[in-house]
Amino acid sequence: MSDSGRLQPAVRAIVLLAVLAWAPVGGAHEGGPLAEPDFIPPAPGTYTLHRIMAAPDGRVLGIDGRQQPLSRYTRGQITLLGFIYTTCTDPEGCPLAYRVFDSLKKAIVATPALHGKVRLVTLSFDPVRDSPDVMQQYAGSRAVENEAGLRWYFLTTGSARELMPLVEGFGQDVRITFDRSDGRARRELSHVLKVFLIDRVGDVREIYTSTFLYPRLVPNDIETLLMEEGLKQSRISVKN
Amino acid sequence: MRHTTLIALLTLVIATSPLANADETCNSPYIAKLIKGQEDYVYVWTLGVEGIGDGSDKLVTVDVNPKSKRYGKVIHSVPTGSRVEAHHMGFTDDRRHLWAGGLADNRIWVFDIATDPAKPRIVQTISDLGEKSGWLGPHTYYAMPGRMLVQALSNTQDKGGRTGMALYNNKGKFIASYAMPTENGGDGYGYDLAVNPRKNVLLTSSFTGYANYMRPIGELMKDGEAMKKFGATMAVWDLKAMKAGKVFSVPGAPLEIRWSLNPKDDWAITAAALTSKLWLIKQEGKEWVAKEVGTIGDPSKIPLPVDISITRDGKGLWVNTFMDGKTRYFDLSNPEAPKQTYEKATGKQVNMISQSWDGKRVYITSSLLANWDKGGADNEQFLRGFAWDGKELSHRFEVDFTKQKLGRAHHMKLGSNALRTAAPKK
Repeated sequence: MSDSGRLQPAVRAIVLLAVLAWAPVGGAHEGGPLAEPDFIPPAPGTYTLHRIMAAPDGRVLGIDGRQQPLSRYTRGQITLLGFIYTTCTDPEGCPLAYRVFDSLKKAIVATPALHGKVRLVTLSFDPVRDSPDVMQQYAGSRAVENEAGLRWYFLTTGSARELMPLVEGFGQDVRITFDRSDGRARRELSHVLKVFLIDRVGDVREIYTSTFLYPRLVPNDIETLLMEEGLKQSRISVKN
Repeated sequence: MRHTTLIALLTLVIATSPLANADETCNSPYIAKLIKGQEDYVYVWTLGVEGIGDGSDKLVTVDVNPKSKRYGKVIHSVPTGSRVEAHHMGFTDDRRHLWAGGLADNRIWVFDIATDPAKPRIVQTISDLGEKSGWLGPHTYYAMPGRMLVQALSNTQDKGGRTGMALYNNKGKFIASYAMPTENGGDGYGYDLAVNPRKNVLLTSSFTGYANYMRPIGELMKDGEAMKKFGATMAVWDLKAMKAGKVFSVPGAPLEIRWSLNPKDDWAITAAALTSKLWLIKQEGKEWVAKEVGTIGDPSKIPLPVDISITRDGKGLWVNTFMDGKTRYFDLSNPEAPKQTYEKATGKQVNMISQSWDGKRVYITSSLLANWDKGGADNEQFLRGFAWDGKELSHRFEVDFTKQKLGRAHHMKLGSNALRTAAPKK
């Protein structure tokens, strides 16, 4: 590897960090600044992202209402997948996932080396309320944008029976709770936010949780997977 | 109705309020479901004793809700059918399963504690730890997102203290192993682990291997060479990369590691068993350092601090010393200078100590290791529940594990009916 080759990841990391730090958040999903880790992450390629498990497969619905296998959205590219439900109000839950994805989207778009190699997937675990139409409203324009080859898919399922294998397969815990803090019972789908990093062959390689979901770590992990795939040289040539 | 179906199928629990983000003071920060109010159960991982009851290791459930008619009573017991020096256990990050194992073996039993928290049941036995990693004697079970990091104490080759960690996914599939450091001052020994994700730090401590911990303690202490084979280090790891970095000299077998749960703090504390010292691990500038900061009892009498429990605000620390059967409380307002403010003899031998999230209830068990427990009348085996008002530990209930033919009471974890999930429909 040339010296210039070694410098590229650092330069790219600076670009990504700058984008992540300044990326505005959208509309109803606004919130405070995203959390930052209090450490310097290890450089891409200096650590191993082990194969944690195979991403489960099942039937999902796109915003157009068409049924597809989930594997259609978890293979062929590096995928970041997170579960949400659209009525979630916990600022440390679904809105956080949305904001993190939004930031990542901007960072990826700003990094030509990642174009066409990454996708985002938001999957609802409330098939009763979150129909394809509702998911489309939730997504807004993001569902149809295709900026720099980055697609953000908003998916739901046709029934709890179709959802269950996915929830169980990913190990995404969810419980119904009732928040009675204001005197009325408000139904919530209590869950620990998890975002799954899935490689191109469909294996989960990292799991980020709500308490420690630091967006600036994710590009390093994506880059680590790309380096593992032997794509680093081609990526550098694209950048140059 | 579709809504009803959803509820049935999602393995959902009906709760009156959401549980918050942390745990009852001493668990992995990745465990999100807390019992912030009154716990309903204490699960006691219990060593089987030949000739007592069925002689098997078992998970014993004790009802500890004062409002229950069964308060202070054993309500359930799950024998494993084996006797392998049952020792510690840990929740998965979703708190649906409890992993438990023994130090004389490499099997790990996975208990479902979510379908019915009052009646845990074995749903899986993991048995490939030795084959996959070469380690022996799984000790600490530390939840990571979707995974479990298992710290072992020994190895299958020479059964000495050289050991490491093994990473499994929550379904029990082996992922990777990591050897304890043997360079830059590392001694290769292992005991406990604890993480501070905000700092990307994993801390590990060190004890001894199978050849020592399975020996009768009287015999062991007379063996000068064997007594040299105890861990005397702690290591700081890059958590993300899972690479060992700086190694500290911490003589005398540093055992349990507790990070302060105060979000403003970035320090951890441990107790060295053989030297009876408290050690603080903290960051000074960019450097992590380890400092001896306090003494527990009279070290010349080897009180043997065997477990510690930190309060949720990081301002207090319970310490159990096995030999004198005492439970001590240290004021940690200044972690650089812990100050003992209370002590009480809570048994003829005491080992583990656990507290509720609010610190008002304290639970103590008796057994250290089968061959290290005291003999005769001093060999009390119990779970004792106490109330703590900030000044005095008041006895509330006791379960006599010998009289009830259960075995030796060791590690504890808390359970709650609020964490119940419905069984998935077939």
